[in-house]
Amino acid sequence: MKRLLAVYFFLLVGFLILPLIFLVPISLSASQFLEFPPTSLSLRWYAAFFEDPTWVGAAILSFRVGIGATALSLLVGTLASIALVRGNFPGKSALTAIFIAPLILPTVVLALALYIVFLRWQLVDNVFALTLAHAIVALPYVVMIVSASLRRFDTTIERAARVLGAGPIKAFMLVTLPYLVPSMFAAGILAFFASFDELIITLFVSGGAQTLPVRIWNDLGLKLDPTVPAVAVMLTMLSIVGMGIGEVIRRRNEQRYQSATPPEA
Amino acid sequence: MTMRRPIILLLLAPAVLLVGLLFVAPLFGVMSLTVHDGTSFTAEPIRELLDSRVALVVLERTFMLAASVTAICLLLGYPAAYFMSSLRPRVRAYLTYLILLPFWVSILIRTYTWIVILGREGIVNTGLGALGLAPVQILYTNVAVHIGMVQILLPIVIITCLASMLDIDKDLMKAARSLGASPAQSFWKVFFPLSVSGAATGGLICFILSLGFFVTPALLGGRRSIIIANLIDLQVHQTLNWGFAAVLATALLAITLACLGVFWLLMRRRVEFSGAGLGR
Repeated sequence: MKRLLAVYFFLLVGFLILPLIFLVPISLSASQFLEFPPTSLSLRWYAAFFEDPTWVGAAILSFRVGIGATALSLLVGTLASIALVRGNFPGKSALTAIFIAPLILPTVVLALALYIVFLRWQLVDNVFALTLAHAIVALPYVVMIVSASLRRFDTTIERAARVLGAGPIKAFMLVTLPYLVPSMFAAGILAFFASFDELIITLFVSGGAQTLPVRIWNDLGLKLDPTVPAVAVMLTMLSIVGMGIGEVIRRRNEQRYQSATPPEA
Repeated sequence: MTMRRPIILLLLAPAVLLVGLLFVAPLFGVMSLTVHDGTSFTAEPIRELLDSRVALVVLERTFMLAASVTAICLLLGYPAAYFMSSLRPRVRAYLTYLILLPFWVSILIRTYTWIVILGREGIVNTGLGALGLAPVQILYTNVAVHIGMVQILLPIVIITCLASMLDIDKDLMKAARSLGASPAQSFWKVFFPLSVSGAATGGLICFILSLGFFVTPALLGGRRSIIIANLIDLQVHQTLNWGFAAVLATALLAITLACLGVFWLLMRRRVEFSGAGLGR
């Protein structure tokens, strides 16, 4: 029975990673058309990406918006997490739910809503406004990860700093913030990719400006451009490296503070 | 550590400002468009929704798609989660990484790859041709939409089911066995009932996320696979009928919130239930 389950499990994993497996060979095809298996290998579609200014421009816009949205959501989300974890005020759980809501509510509803207000405020086709909209999508990750990490933090360390004469802000900056930095980094990476992969809101409010997902989307409507798999492979590498670094840092931090962490209640 | 009220307000202010201005207010704006056309109150958009055959067909299709995708994910995911729950923690951690691997690739790109795999001259049909079989039309049908959506949502269902299964005290099944139950009985009478609420949670999350899908139905489905998110997009970008788009969006939002309400009730019951004993 267990062996049968194991076979089933790995078949299922095969299905889950099927699209990932085919991506690399497809991107290396030398042909004009998408074919599998490729008859000859080349990097021409990787070159095509860098030679096409619309692809490069889309990548640059994606990075600009992504970095801006990450910075903003990290700043705003970390401050809010401190209040949510340490403060005691009415409506706390409702507020937490609202911060996390963009993760589960249908994006298209938010996209339409933002499009309508952006038109009214004349913010369509405005990179700064797009960055703010992406920060909304990135914020849930920051609030969830940073407040979870803050909740695990042993406050006696900070209290010790206070007893030894540090003011509340100094104690926080010198004791708690260094503890938070790795989880903020992990949250920042998730926030960045939330923005970097965002399609629907951008499609509604960017007014023709193309981020990478929008560029890919516009391409897919017309034909199967072989540049897309090459872009996809590069993006996947980027996210694997990014999330890998985030995971390593998070784990190291956990080990470092393990002795100081109180046992889970 | 207690914080004073002004400090709490100061810390929350930027996030509340951002979310209030660009999330809460716009959503209320959309909802208000369904009863107010900018100058006066009107019931026109709602009447339009109820009169529109297209909207009702698409709403029903959205519901049916979400339901069937959820059912498939639960049927496929539950045994996988059960298998994972029976392993040693270390092995389980590695398999969890494996299950979560698809998250590293964006949904848009995964959908693109399905087009290459399932298309007329795609990998599946080339393979069938090599075996001397006739090509099958999978791409641009509901089957392709299901494949694409299950591939995206299955990991979420597996992980949620697994989390609740790990909470189950394994000694309960041993006790059942020692009291004379067969392995099948100890599974169906002890393990399964205890795992149902976790599976239901996973199913509900899957259902809610399915309702809002946009990319997969648009790219893998045909003209008759569009669901509500695609219809909203069409209303905005092609028909330019915003009132109608707003009423569709409000309907989608209301359905999602209703599901979240059920979810919340379920979670609360689960907390009470697991707090009621069972060795804790």
